[in-house]
Amino acid sequence: MTTLETGPLALEAGEEEAPSNSLGVLGRPKGGYSWRAWFTTVDHKKIGIMYGGTAIFFFIIGGLEALLIRAQLWAPRGTLLTADQYNQVFTMHGTTMIFLVVMPIGAAFANYLMPLQIGARDVAFPRINAFSYWCFLFGGLFLNTSWFLGGGADGGWFNYAPNNGVVFSPSNGIDFWNIGLLIAGIASLTGAVNLIVTVLNLRAPGMTLMKMPIFTWMTLVTQFLLLFAIPVLTSAQFLLLFDRQFDGNFFNVAKGGEPLLWEHLFWIFGHPEVYLMILPAFGLVSDMLPVFCRKPIFGYPFIVFSGIAIGFMGWGVWAHHMFVSGIGPISVTVFALTTMFIAVPTGVKILNWTATMVGGRIRLATPMLFCIGLVTMFTIGGLSGVTHAVAPADTQQTDTYYIVAHFHYVLFGGAFFGFMGGFYFYWPKVFGYLLNETLGKTNFWLMFVGFNLTFGPMHVLGLNGMSRRTYTYDPGYGFELWNKIATIGAFLLAASIALFIFNIFYSKVKAKHLPAPGPDPWDARTIEWMIPSPVPEYNFDPVPTITTLDEFWYRKYGETEDGRLVQIATAEEVAQSAEGEHDVHLPSPSYWPIVTAFGLPIIGYGLLYTWWLSLVGGIITAAGIYGWAFEPPDDPEGAHGHEDHDDHHPDDDGDHTDATDDATPELAEAEGDKEVETVG
Amino acid sequence: MVSTTVSEVGLDAAAPHAHATHDTNTGISNTKLAMWLFLGSECLLFGGLITTYLIYKEPLAGQGPALADIVDIPFTSTSSFVLLMSSLTMVLAVSAIERGDHHRMRTWTAATAILGATFVAGQVYEFTAFYREGLGFTTSRFSSAFYTLTGFHGVHVTVGLIMLMSLFVLSLRGRLPEHKAETVEVVGLYWHFVDVVWILIFAVVYLIP
Amino acid sequence: MTDSTLLGDSPVPTDVLDGAEEDYSRDLKYVYIAIFLAVVTAVEVMTYVAPDFPGWKWGDGVGLVVVLMVLMAVKFWTVAWYFMHLKFDSRVLTAVFYAGLVLAVCVYLAMMTAFRLWWPESHS
Repeated sequence: MTTLETGPLALEAGEEEAPSNSLGVLGRPKGGYSWRAWFTTVDHKKIGIMYGGTAIFFFIIGGLEALLIRAQLWAPRGTLLTADQYNQVFTMHGTTMIFLVVMPIGAAFANYLMPLQIGARDVAFPRINAFSYWCFLFGGLFLNTSWFLGGGADGGWFNYAPNNGVVFSPSNGIDFWNIGLLIAGIASLTGAVNLIVTVLNLRAPGMTLMKMPIFTWMTLVTQFLLLFAIPVLTSAQFLLLFDRQFDGNFFNVAKGGEPLLWEHLFWIFGHPEVYLMILPAFGLVSDMLPVFCRKPIFGYPFIVFSGIAIGFMGWGVWAHHMFVSGIGPISVTVFALTTMFIAVPTGVKILNWTATMVGGRIRLATPMLFCIGLVTMFTIGGLSGVTHAVAPADTQQTDTYYIVAHFHYVLFGGAFFGFMGGFYFYWPKVFGYLLNETLGKTNFWLMFVGFNLTFGPMHVLGLNGMSRRTYTYDPGYGFELWNKIATIGAFLLAASIALFIFNIFYSKVKAKHLPAPGPDPWDARTIEWMIPSPVPEYNFDPVPTITTLDEFWYRKYGETEDGRLVQIATAEEVAQSAEGEHDVHLPSPSYWPIVTAFGLPIIGYGLLYTWWLSLVGGIITAAGIYGWAFEPPDDPEGAHGHEDHDDHHPDDDGDHTDATDDATPELAEAEGDKEVETVG
Repeated sequence: MVSTTVSEVGLDAAAPHAHATHDTNTGISNTKLAMWLFLGSECLLFGGLITTYLIYKEPLAGQGPALADIVDIPFTSTSSFVLLMSSLTMVLAVSAIERGDHHRMRTWTAATAILGATFVAGQVYEFTAFYREGLGFTTSRFSSAFYTLTGFHGVHVTVGLIMLMSLFVLSLRGRLPEHKAETVEVVGLYWHFVDVVWILIFAVVYLIP
Repeated sequence: MTDSTLLGDSPVPTDVLDGAEEDYSRDLKYVYIAIFLAVVTAVEVMTYVAPDFPGWKWGDGVGLVVVLMVLMAVKFWTVAWYFMHLKFDSRVLTAVFYAGLVLAVCVYLAMMTAFRLWWPESHS
């Protein structure tokens, strides 16, 4: 497969580019599905699958950490974990679930799905896309090697100062947290730039912004949130890095360091962070509900604008995480007000989803069950959130299990339920077989019951005063019964996840004896359902011209004068066929993204152990960037197909970036600048 | 698909081929849009470091010198002027390649790099002078914040220098033809941003008492 | 796309000859802008050299800060609008950059307020 020959950086006909520097050592690798193909892929679909698979892997790790917590808290004065071990477990549980599970699943769906929903061939910068994934993987692995190298981070996922300094946290755990998340942050930032450019620039002809599916809209808002929030965390992380590695004074109280500086910077990131965790799931549900209600989404513009509003307003509420930090009554009042206001756009969405369901012909397939699950569970979590906004009440609630209940209802009951629905819904499109419905429904109910048993009682525990982030509790406070119920619930949840994994393999085996699901097993509305399942490498051929929202639906169905649906064409007639010749240019695979990413954790190890490792890592990354920049833009042995129906070509990175010499002790600072080299 | 002619979009009429529309929905090239998005995010990064500096600009009593004790405004002003002029040479380099004048482009690019390197050298000199006067990285909260903010900026300038030198070499090797003028423009955007951040730092750190 | 391709790879691009005056006048405009920036910088330095000048010695120190902020903003905007070509490019780019800039300013001003940076007494 050859790379595009057009686009702003390509050559005019007849113009010869000067022979490329043969220091672009390796030729471009070939595509396909072999082992090597996955390491060198730049295909958004493969990258999306890798994000999803890796996230599930980390989900199991984070889940085991959760089970350890629940087992320790089964009875008062539990002895399974010491206080120090407990601190590590809950810190890593939170960090893993947020940064290595929920965010990457959002990225998985965004990567796989969004280009299909807008009719694009791939994302704007395919190699940067691959680089993002490898940064995420290596950052997550780096973080988890802390378990073997002196213990996990132990300051909570938010790591407040001065507790996060070397005086109070001498082990390397927090350094692994810091550097691992800096590397993962590079993934998020480069991914954000990539996906925003994709949505803005690579839509199919006729697809205006207000004809995009809602998942794509929510992805766009999410990526903007990432783009602006990650750098704030990055600045905080560098301050912490310099304090811990180089004796800086940012959080050194003796030299006038302000612990609240960390809190402000962290939560300025941290609050948009939680919105960027939930918005992709909101988007998935907004696209799934209409399919299973056989009605268009109620109030499309309202859902879009409320999503944008959440994106904006999310920046004004961060200090509600700091109500009891001594910020003073004026700050508290201001942030309490802004926090109450932000409930409004979310409420708008809940209203719209409910209105979509009312009057619809509802099919309770597994994805729909998870959608209803999200709407109901997120509402509960949102309501407890509103009670937190009342600052005096929050003074009692904060640091108790009531807060733990709130965020698990919105993150698990909200985001994760939405993702589960998305997995069931999109599984046939991605993998070419349907997940078993019976097992799926069992999966849902087991997860629903387990989830509510685990986190429901925490509301009671919290209001009765059970403190969070504490390794044990004393008998005689009335905590015992609810803790036991919560622990049982947690193990039920684990069983439901095991059932999901089982369903994946079971359904794959059974699929051999079942008819293929075809392009449109759910009778869906958006254009990703009008291409074959699994999706061919080139996505669309030809790229469709869009005339309306829910384009695919209106190619299948028209409406009579009294508004009744009449079928104009079957899905098979409308859908594109996998048969025939498809002479389409695709971006060539590349070694350099994984090579460049690979140097980063080595730099990290070097910061902790010996400068020589940093030098090695820096050389690897520099070599990666250099190879990337001078890589031949097309595979000389690949077929040269003719330019077909491509309207939009992903800009594969040209050969104009730099070679960087990073082999200096300022690697710590250079790390944060890596995105500069790779974006150019 | 949005297709517009150059005149419709109202672009700089003096450079018709530099800013032709691309076959993207917005008419902006992917790379240029990407760079502007990145620069938008950099505002948040430098904002955090500047805010940290402003909170920490007074060292605690007895913990080393304050900025007023050691700063050399005439020297830093000259340095700032040098960086400011490098933006001019940068924009002249872009202008040169947009009309196909590769020789001038290389001249102006080299000039930009030299001015930038002069700036960095000035920073290094300034830091060593401060260090000798008792301002180490660990001396006080002010010193940590000051060196981190200006250091981050300096690293960004250095990365820019590497990009400029790469452009120079690419052009020498004939791999920067006229229709790739946008590459130079995008590097220029980064360079101007780095200059703009210094405009901020110079005012906020050095001049405001 | 460009006029020069009509003549293929000619050693002297035709547009230099045809549009030379336009191009050089454009370059001259850039030089004028640079001179303007230099003058503004000189005024900024004047606030250090002559702190008692009535133009900025008012409001008990506030005047100096205000004047410097204004001058800084003028330079910032000039470079962004003209050198970075935002004036002549698509509004999308302006929107995207301003989004980050305005967000940063608002969020960090709020944070500085939380640290009571504006109050005359020292912050906690």
